[in-house]
Amino acid sequence: MNEGLINKAPRKLLFLFEILSLSLIFLYSWEGIQTETYVIAVGLVLLIYFSNYLLGRISKGDNYIFLIVCMLVSIGIIMIYRISPDLGLKQLMWLTFGIAMFFAAYFAVRYISFWGRLTPIYLLASYALFALTLIMGSRTHGAINWITISGVSVQPAEITKIVLVFLLAAFYGGDEKYRKIKNAEVYLMIVVYSFIGLLFLQRDLGTALIFFGVFTGLQYIYSQDRRLIWANLGLATVGGIAGYLIFDHVRVRVTTWLNPWPHINDKGYQITQSLFAISEGGFFGTGLGRGNPSFIPLSYNDFIFSAISEEMGIFTGIGIIMLFMLLVYRGFKIALSQENQFFRMVALGISMIFGIQSFIIIGGVLKVIPLTGLTLPFVSYGGTSVVTSFIALGILQGASEKRGRGGIGNE
Amino acid sequence: MFDLLSIGLKYVFVFIIYLFIFTIIRMIYLDIRNVDYGNLDSGAYLKLLNRIDSLPYNLSDSYPVEAELTLGRQKDNTIQIKDPYISKRHFRIIKDEEEFFLEDLGSSNGTYLNGEKIHDVVRIGKGDIIKVGELEFIFINGA
Repeated sequence: MNEGLINKAPRKLLFLFEILSLSLIFLYSWEGIQTETYVIAVGLVLLIYFSNYLLGRISKGDNYIFLIVCMLVSIGIIMIYRISPDLGLKQLMWLTFGIAMFFAAYFAVRYISFWGRLTPIYLLASYALFALTLIMGSRTHGAINWITISGVSVQPAEITKIVLVFLLAAFYGGDEKYRKIKNAEVYLMIVVYSFIGLLFLQRDLGTALIFFGVFTGLQYIYSQDRRLIWANLGLATVGGIAGYLIFDHVRVRVTTWLNPWPHINDKGYQITQSLFAISEGGFFGTGLGRGNPSFIPLSYNDFIFSAISEEMGIFTGIGIIMLFMLLVYRGFKIALSQENQFFRMVALGISMIFGIQSFIIIGGVLKVIPLTGLTLPFVSYGGTSVVTSFIALGILQGASEKRGRGGIGNE
Repeated sequence: MFDLLSIGLKYVFVFIIYLFIFTIIRMIYLDIRNVDYGNLDSGAYLKLLNRIDSLPYNLSDSYPVEAELTLGRQKDNTIQIKDPYISKRHFRIIKDEEEFFLEDLGSSNGTYLNGEKIHDVVRIGKGDIIKVGELEFIFINGA
């Protein structure tokens, strides 16, 4: 009895938060109130309620990660709607699709068992996605990472991120036969570095960092050959310095990180506006609808953390960081209790993606590390980002359930 | 009007978000405690000695022994093992006034206590090894 009561408490808090913030949004746009406001209010509450209910029914796995993500999503969509109602409505559509994909990914992981044996397919898929971007890609905000298929823009690198985790997990934890090839790990390293190089060419520095982080993490944990880890770190140092010297867009990021103030009118505009916004907010923020988040370029996307900090206070910002920490903690916990080697590595890789990505972008907008354009998972506006993040979460949810012991290759 | 409400609610939002985080952390903490202490420290339990991954069926690492524990092929046993060498109702362990007794329930292949086949009810204590078919359990009495 008591257990049930405790379990329902966070769900109730989530609804309380949504209902209060949505009614505030109603008041905010009282004069120009349109049907879309109703759609977003009713849609969001129903969507989150039913997906939570459904998940509790069908999954015996972890029941925290989805709740945590629901809170992040709610904070995000309310901020996006407040900045631009149109985008808010679009985001709601993406969320609906994303949660549908969450369940699809969950069932795919639960009922299909040969994921660990597809190493060559993951390899080919990654290169195919890169080729697609280079051929059909268009340049937005300095990076070639978008392709448009019949009116819908997608970012293939977001999908490649998940494929990379599967590739690494299949290599280290699934198939034995690829690891037995002579110097297999060296080849793997060459492959991953070719991905990172391609991302550099596309000027997608943030994603390149995620690839490097996930690869280094998994290599550190599972590689038998310690020399390769040193080689990896050495190469990264050399590559970083070379990138700084060769590429202009890398140098700009470092300059605006070290001192953005002389460039306040051009290169450093975004980051300084972000800092102004955060300091304007103070501890509790200016209150929803009372700040000026539209002063920051891309405030609904990369800089949503600053926009939230401005209107809802740095305490909410710290809250978001804590939610991400809990999410990553649960992800590691899932990995630790999973006995299937392949899914253990998948869970680890996906948690690392969430952790590294949120660290890079939050650190970037706070001017703690050089800024690289990335979305804050689940919070930022962006179709591909939301959908792929939910797919990754669905895989994590699937990996949280008990599976057969040992690697898939041993069956 | 809106301004006042917005300023008031911003504190409420922060409060709700932190309460949410706090409840989740508390739930996670309670879960961890259940796993760590709930099963093992209190009372007696059977620990499986075989390597779990060498067995073709699902088994836990350890099973707590309360008032009565039964092992067999049938569904209503505390430990169900789908192994042809194990009878539908193989053995049971009963607790009587803080002492534990092992009883073979007329199994076809027998129950072995420390390597000897048992015929009747036997008192068991800490460290005794119970063998049925391929499976070996060690009995541990923590209390």
